[in-house]
Amino acid sequence: MRTMRSVRRRRLLAASLLTPLLAGCFASGDDSSDAGDAGSRLRVALAFPPAENFSPYGADATLLSRLGVTEGLTQLDANGAAAPALAQSWQRENDRSWLFTLREATFQDGTEVTADAVASALTHAADAKPQPAALSGVTVKAEAAGDGRVRVTTADPDPVLPLRLTSPSLAVLAPKAYEKGAVSPVGTATGPFELTKTSGSSSATLERFDDYWGGRAQAAGVDARFVADGTARANALRTGEVDVAEAIPVSQAASLKEGTRRETPTTRTTSLQLNTGKGVFEDPAMRAAAREAVNTSALADDVYEGYADPGAGLYGPALTWAAGKREKPAGRAEAARPDGESITVATYDNRPELPEVAQVLKQQLEKAGFEVKLEVREYSRLEGDALAGKFDAFVAARNTMLDTGDPVSILASDYTCDGSYNLALLCDDTVDEAVEKAEGTADEEKRRDAAMAAEADVLGADAFVPLVHQRIITGVGASVKGVILDPYERTLVGTGTRR
Amino acid sequence: MRRSPKNTTVSPQEEGRGAVVRRLLHGAVPRAAWRCALAAALVCGIGLLPWLSRTDPALTVLKARSAERDATPEVLADVRAGLGLDAGPLHLLGQWLSGLPRGDAGRSWISGAEVAPSVLQALGASVLLMAVALAFAAVTAAAVCARTLWLGSRRRLGDARPGRGGAAVLAALPEFLIASVLATVVGVQLGWLPALGWYGPRWTVLPALSLGLPAGALLGRLLADLLPGAFAEPWAPAAAARGMPGRRIARQAVRRCLPALLPNAALYVVGLTGGAVAVEQIFDIPGLGRLTLQAAVAQDLPVLQAGTLALVLLAACVTLAAHGAARLLAGPALAAGALGSLHRPAPPASRVPLLVYGAVLVAVVGWGLPRDPLAVDTGARLLAPSRAHPFGTDALGRDVLARLAHGAFGTLSQALAISAAALVLGLLLGLLPAVSGPLVDTVNAVPPVLVALLVTAVVGSGSGTPALAVTAVAWAPLAAHAAALLRQERATLHLTAAIGLGAGPWHLLRHELLPAVVPPVARHALLRLPAVALSLAALGFLGLGAQPPSPEWGLLLAENQPYAERAPWAVLAPAAVLALLGALAVSAADGMRTRRPGRPRRRGAEAADPGTARVVPPRRSRPAEPELATAPGGTARE
Repeated sequence: MRTMRSVRRRRLLAASLLTPLLAGCFASGDDSSDAGDAGSRLRVALAFPPAENFSPYGADATLLSRLGVTEGLTQLDANGAAAPALAQSWQRENDRSWLFTLREATFQDGTEVTADAVASALTHAADAKPQPAALSGVTVKAEAAGDGRVRVTTADPDPVLPLRLTSPSLAVLAPKAYEKGAVSPVGTATGPFELTKTSGSSSATLERFDDYWGGRAQAAGVDARFVADGTARANALRTGEVDVAEAIPVSQAASLKEGTRRETPTTRTTSLQLNTGKGVFEDPAMRAAAREAVNTSALADDVYEGYADPGAGLYGPALTWAAGKREKPAGRAEAARPDGESITVATYDNRPELPEVAQVLKQQLEKAGFEVKLEVREYSRLEGDALAGKFDAFVAARNTMLDTGDPVSILASDYTCDGSYNLALLCDDTVDEAVEKAEGTADEEKRRDAAMAAEADVLGADAFVPLVHQRIITGVGASVKGVILDPYERTLVGTGTRR
Repeated sequence: MRRSPKNTTVSPQEEGRGAVVRRLLHGAVPRAAWRCALAAALVCGIGLLPWLSRTDPALTVLKARSAERDATPEVLADVRAGLGLDAGPLHLLGQWLSGLPRGDAGRSWISGAEVAPSVLQALGASVLLMAVALAFAAVTAAAVCARTLWLGSRRRLGDARPGRGGAAVLAALPEFLIASVLATVVGVQLGWLPALGWYGPRWTVLPALSLGLPAGALLGRLLADLLPGAFAEPWAPAAAARGMPGRRIARQAVRRCLPALLPNAALYVVGLTGGAVAVEQIFDIPGLGRLTLQAAVAQDLPVLQAGTLALVLLAACVTLAAHGAARLLAGPALAAGALGSLHRPAPPASRVPLLVYGAVLVAVVGWGLPRDPLAVDTGARLLAPSRAHPFGTDALGRDVLARLAHGAFGTLSQALAISAAALVLGLLLGLLPAVSGPLVDTVNAVPPVLVALLVTAVVGSGSGTPALAVTAVAWAPLAAHAAALLRQERATLHLTAAIGLGAGPWHLLRHELLPAVVPPVARHALLRLPAVALSLAALGFLGLGAQPPSPEWGLLLAENQPYAERAPWAVLAPAAVLALLGALAVSAADGMRTRRPGRPRRRGAEAADPGTARVVPPRRSRPAEPELATAPGGTARE
């Protein structure tokens, strides 16, 4: 009997010792329900976990901006133009210099948003290594100009500076954020929600920032969880564990209840880049044959199950101005009849639909007379070979607005001789000229016209075949209101979001 | 390897405790040194990986940080400078190693966060998941063996036929499939248990179940393989005659078999800790599998090194524990060289299931071969089974039956070749447990993706690389199994007898050891055949192995997994043929067993008489009294 009891006691002891140990083995972050105003907290499942510990200069910047934590001087409006954010207004002083007038706002640590703080934040961003993508190729200097104004000067004339400043990676943080080694957005941003707690790459806790200049947010806070698996995100929404789940994969869309699926056209275009530099597609007639072989509506309706629009060009319907300005591509070559030419089509599997698209393309191209071999890899193991021109064609999904918010950037980086991401290996004088002209155009409307003219030239060269313009599916719980469905994927939660 | 004292004249009692301890420690030092050398080689291999495979870590790290960032030369240069890559791999490695004694495992190249805490956290989650999975595996294994135990403890096993096709089917099911089904059905549709996250005990059930079920089925299958041999030993009828209750006899039989099984269970434990990537993904568990996979793909070397080192350490601890447990269970008998072989006098297995399974498989393949496996028809996607498409269609409207049939040859031939190579390697290395023991642990602990990356780095990404990468992992459990069996076999009396009769080492190997070890290990290899087919497909994303649209079975499973809920047939069909393959492999192995038992030992007249063989194992010339050593009277001798 005694031994029994001592054994039991020992077990009890072991259990009491084990419990904290076990607790350490679980993820923290599910303590959302014990808060007093639990009802009005918003639970969000995001697709991309913070890769760099919420550093504001990389991809995590988008995440912070989507959650309503950070803001920059300007923001993109629905038409893709720069709209006021922390800057109330701005004017171009001369070719190289812009003057931004700040609005009255406070940082989440209680300090005022001053011109000095803004200038220092922008300077830190400009000095970051590697440079934020929005600033690639430009040298920016920011300084306070008195009266709550900030002067931003560039080394070369930059007509799209206000657009650049919409980039989430140029968010303005309080001086406190830069004190320690790594820049920390915890409690130092200006948005309607304040990042208070982060636990690794699994979750983050946000509280409402009551002194937000745009008014108090309706939700008391946000519990963000980072769930990389698309099926798992859809399941989380279906079981009611989260209120909003972003980027539901097409394969899971049908499993969500009608009314919880919201689709938004995005600036993401999936296209077939043809290697104009070497191989079969060096011949324009062969490129024309490939273009004619592709049936985009089969891709949009079947592979994307209707959550995409058939490809029309570089810019999709998310850019509302593009369709009206599209010109018919001129100077296209006459298609030749392929005679069993062997081509390699490469794509990556980080986006689940792409291998499917590639397999459908294979069938369509083979019907036209090509002999097709597929190569599917993880993206970072493919890019080098693709840029080196080792494949004849490459199926890629690309955000056509990049980080600059300027439609011309993608033309310059993807289709000019010196482009850094020139998958088509295109080097065409007409295109280069057209892009250069667009880059030099300051007026917004005219710049867009010039971009469309350059797009027509690229299409005329048959450097790529637009396949589909993707729509993004956001899962939104039935009781949730005010989720911001942003075609540029920069915002999601705002002051009006509640459940 | 301990030299068992069978050829000394000193009996264990006379040796004293000091000698026992000495013998237990014998070989421990070189073994530990070998283990350390392996771990060091592994860490160095990882440290050199990007330079060996000529994949720029600056690029992979950049893409892991921000997939859409264009890798311009300036950006790459900044990343390189930030990470100090220009100092070269040796400098980086030295720096990392010098931090280790202080508990500083460096900072992640991707996030810049400290590595040690995050790896420890992930390890905790993984170990917990694995522990719960092990509990479920034990229950599953018990269920698999229940019939054998029941019959055996009541001495009615003699006429029973092995009927464990069910276990083989379960063991052949891929974990991610079980996980998907559990998450969708139990988690989402029924809402009984949470389908996502890792916040408390309730969250452990579903993921642990998806890992534990197939593992338990396999371990149970191996146990059920050994049990009849234990029941056939003389202590069992003696115990029964003494009126010992069946439950106690069953318990002792399990105890008798466990030592041979423990090394494999230990391998499972470690393998699941680092290799449960799919399950971690489906249930969103922050475990070590995902962490190391991400680090491997992004070449985040500090995390990869720390994660691998943690896994190797865990492997060493678990193996030590398993060996300790095995010694506790069988120790005195093992030391005394008093174990019987667990060669079971098998009842003649029926060939009917073999023929049935084979016929079904051939029929399916034959039915599908005339169909076109590559014809894409996006208008007819995800169609339910019908007359036109007996197994339905997949996400691109391709006929699932056609794809199954056309993928059969490639999948089977490759998986068989790999299994055969792994068997030979496993047996050879199993004969040298001192060398292979730590090697097995290390290889098994390393995440398969990392092994594939290392193999690719060494041999390049040729067409044979994926097979090589899978073989490099697949031999380990077989070697562990072989070594465990050999350890027991070397302690048996018939070996002592053979040595007494003047048998040389070659003779012993050919006529005593190998015949005892090869059949069970070969059965084990066959049992793992479906797993080999699956792991081949798992390497596809590295650009290794089958590429779409090839209809390899593993690829079929992977590409249809996202549609598991909407079009279950597209996943169930390949899973079913894999399970069928598992059942086929097992019955083929049983067929192999029927031919074996009498052959190798022509020494006793009993062997010629299957009638007696069923009751008394043929090899025992005299019932030795230490036979009871592992039975209840294990301590009676002291």
